[in-house]
Amino acid sequence: MNDSPMNGQLKKKLDSVFRDIETDVSDDGRLTIHATKESVLTVLSLLKDEGWSFLQLVSCVDWIKQDEIEIVYVLSSYVGVEDGPDAKGEPYAKGEPDAKRESILLKTRLPRSEPSVLTAIHVFANAEPYEREIHELFGVHFEGHPRLTPLFLDREYKIPPFRKDFDTEQYVKDVFDSVPPIDEES
Amino acid sequence: MDRNQLTKWFKAPTKMAHKYSLHAVYFCTGCGVIEIPPTITARWDAERFGVIPAATPRHANLFLITGYVSVKTLRAVIRTYEQMPEPKFTVGFGSCPINGGMYWDSYNTINQLDKYIPIDGWIAGCMPRPEAIFVAVTHLWTLIDKDMADGYKRYRKHYAQYRANQEQVLGELEWPPLFQSEREG
Repeated sequence: MNDSPMNGQLKKKLDSVFRDIETDVSDDGRLTIHATKESVLTVLSLLKDEGWSFLQLVSCVDWIKQDEIEIVYVLSSYVGVEDGPDAKGEPYAKGEPDAKRESILLKTRLPRSEPSVLTAIHVFANAEPYEREIHELFGVHFEGHPRLTPLFLDREYKIPPFRKDFDTEQYVKDVFDSVPPIDEES
Repeated sequence: MDRNQLTKWFKAPTKMAHKYSLHAVYFCTGCGVIEIPPTITARWDAERFGVIPAATPRHANLFLITGYVSVKTLRAVIRTYEQMPEPKFTVGFGSCPINGGMYWDSYNTINQLDKYIPIDGWIAGCMPRPEAIFVAVTHLWTLIDKDMADGYKRYRKHYAQYRANQEQVLGELEWPPLFQSEREG
């Protein structure tokens, strides 16, 4: 395990502030934070103040065997070389990445039956379309989101189509293959 | 003018006129539309074959469906097709409109386009080259010559079936039936 100085600092800070999160630095120096759904917003705003001011994307994973849905926030910063520990602009040696140029993963797990989490729009405004998409394709409810209306899809699905238990083959059979071909003879 | 075709011009002037002025509607679905810009510009120059893109469906008589058709796109495809004046010709481009292609088990892509609108010809492949469009156009000329490019006539004749299929997938359609009398008959 490699503790680059910046990530080590941030990890310590996070560990001292929050009791209900787990932090983990991978071999290539990337910080992963596992937070409960109550602390997601405070962690996000703390990271934003620390310089990770860009929300790259919000993603979603369906862990069907654990009966959980995981929301993944990917954060990065615009900090250039001159702001890092290596002010001369020389390339970093391998295994010693600049923590501020690494992206941070913030993960939170929700119950699969009624997944619901507070919206991140008030911290990062660009979370809006991502959350709308996740709502549509995974059925996660984002509390406080101003418009969770359909984004891409044109029809209603009993199970949101990106969940693992959505049987696409059966769905195609039921909906599209059941349309009869045009009978030209009649 | 080709002297060999002179008799054809005298026999059926409108047919010949339709053949050599195919105006393709600008309608982009899926990935196949990336083949259209080189086809209509200097590299392959579709105007040699009389194919010119038209800005609106009301000025067009050739409908190239250039890729997968999602449920949302199907609605637009039908509206565009119904706005085009007759005679109109449709060509399914790429394997996705034929049978779904690589999206055969997608939750949102319709599999066979000819269940919803009539298709005069198909270009198979993923993706077909621009040359394939010209092969299709010359085939379409033959079909027009032989009165076999009759998709719009089939649409009129079997409109009740087409409309029923469209409604089965799209639900209630927000526009009235195109052919009122044929629907009851």
